[in-house]
Amino acid sequence: MGALAEILFGGLFQGSLYAMMAVGLALVWTTIGVFNFSHGVFMMLGAYLAWQLVETGLHPAAAFPLAVLATAAVGWLLQAAVVRPLIGRANLVLVVVITTLAAGSLIENGVLTIWGPRSKQLPPLVDGNTMIGSIGVSLHQIAIIVVTPLILGALWMFLTRTRLGLALRAVAQNEDASQLVGLNVTALYGLAFAIAAALACLAGIFMGGYRFMSPVMGADPLLKALIVVVFGGISSISGPIFAAYLIGFFEAACSYYFGLYWTPALLFAVLILTLMVRPEGIFSSRGRGLA
Amino acid sequence: MMDQIKRNIRAPGRTPWQREAVGFVLGLAVLALMPFVFADSYSRHILIMAFIYAIVASNWDLSLGYGGVFNFGHLALFGIGVYAYALLTKLAGLDPWLALAASGVVATLAAVLVTIPILRLKGIYIILVTFGFAQLVMQVIISQSEITGGTQGIVRIPGLYLFDHNMVRDGKIGYFGIALALLAASTIFLRVLVRSRTGASIVALRDNEEYAISRGVSLVRQRLITLAASAFFTGVAGAFYAAYQRNASIDVFGMSLATIVLSMVLLGGTGTIYGAIIASFVLTIFAEAMADFGAWRPMITAVLIIVVMLVYPSGLVGMLRAAWAGLTGRLKRPA
Repeated sequence: MGALAEILFGGLFQGSLYAMMAVGLALVWTTIGVFNFSHGVFMMLGAYLAWQLVETGLHPAAAFPLAVLATAAVGWLLQAAVVRPLIGRANLVLVVVITTLAAGSLIENGVLTIWGPRSKQLPPLVDGNTMIGSIGVSLHQIAIIVVTPLILGALWMFLTRTRLGLALRAVAQNEDASQLVGLNVTALYGLAFAIAAALACLAGIFMGGYRFMSPVMGADPLLKALIVVVFGGISSISGPIFAAYLIGFFEAACSYYFGLYWTPALLFAVLILTLMVRPEGIFSSRGRGLA
Repeated sequence: MMDQIKRNIRAPGRTPWQREAVGFVLGLAVLALMPFVFADSYSRHILIMAFIYAIVASNWDLSLGYGGVFNFGHLALFGIGVYAYALLTKLAGLDPWLALAASGVVATLAAVLVTIPILRLKGIYIILVTFGFAQLVMQVIISQSEITGGTQGIVRIPGLYLFDHNMVRDGKIGYFGIALALLAASTIFLRVLVRSRTGASIVALRDNEEYAISRGVSLVRQRLITLAASAFFTGVAGAFYAAYQRNASIDVFGMSLATIVLSMVLLGGTGTIYGAIIASFVLTIFAEAMADFGAWRPMITAVLIIVVMLVYPSGLVGMLRAAWAGLTGRLKRPA
């Protein structure tokens, strides 16, 4: 019983973080057709901005939303600087990989210069600890498990129920037709990047609340988000969300039964096998579309 | 008239092989004379590192530029070379020279292994799987710490000797010579390959997969050849790096090294081989020149990469070509 509870809780918790990260990656891929390799850096930057705002004396309830907005703005700017000018190039995907990697390195080293290498920590969303059955957990973790589905649900509502969200999905489905009916495609590209950055910032705030922050803290979550989108299919939003939780449970079970060291290797083996059998991911079709 | 037609036929990449051979020998001679200009071992160290980067980057250009296969596990092949050499010499006690060649073979086998899952895939999916492969290799090395040293790495790896001469003596002249010889061998191999019919079919698959297949080019076979060929000298370069540095660490699998080498390939201009080599020299020396800037160095490099990618998508070779065309055009016009 203890094992099951531990795996369930660990899976839900990790899955929430992965989902927050992966959805942003998938959002950018579906709308613009590029892979944003500075996504992990957005997460790190968001956490540091939040830390700085809290440090200057702001209440977390005000600091966190401000940090999210600021990171979204950075996402928009980055898109305008290193992605938008390249649209239309023959090897767009590849060039954007390198420009976003370079931009990520720029931000990462900038953060290192400004805030230094010493580890920092954010205040948790909710203070305190509790027991679930026989395992001790922090309320911060429970808050993440509860809040993440709400945020993802809100994103879902935004994409399916609002005009702007529908416009975003229209661009994802057919760019030329969207342009023809008068949608501002460039602005929507920026919006996709901004939303992705905001989600990454939230993930950073979640993570900074229970683990020490460092300028390279985004690298591992980016990697996991990559696995999640490959696994769940890159061409939708719901696929990565399911996959995020699935991988969360898989990891929790693996590290419980086989140990922490073997988990990544097993995960990658499963990933490569999945791609050999279903290259488009297990929850997805091959086309691009946001649903 | 015939002259005009001839010139059109040998448009880009169709320089007569005699002319290319002359240029190659001249370039090699200039590089071989470097140790006489730079006698101190530090300058030579920079050159050796530039040669290693040049081998890795130019081989990456084969799969990325010519094959259009986004192999993001290329640096993992280099890392496999590093660890293969370290383990073969230290644990198996193999002769370092044999281990150097064997590491290339191991990297080639690894490349074949990673090609199998990507045979059916395209574009971004290839990036993701090969990226995953690189991470998998790294995780396996970390987890098998009793053999590989895990995150601590391996130290005191045997270096290279010729009879009793330690290659590191006399201002590293021995290592310089081997690095240059490896770069020369790798470049000849790559250029001969891309100029051959096999090379043409690799490019054909990149440019129009359906048409190439319909004309009888085998995607499976050519993709295997492309990745395996790009792996051998990459693995040997890794082994040489291990022998030269005499230690191995998992840093070779990190994103920062991959970013640097990838930017060498792209800055140089893809699909040229020489471009990647030139860019490796330029970036290595540039990074050295900025050593005083400390933390600003990676930021300046990042900005430089972005600016070149935005302004000059065909890279340094495209820039040189345009300059050359402008120069010769201006010289010919009065006639």
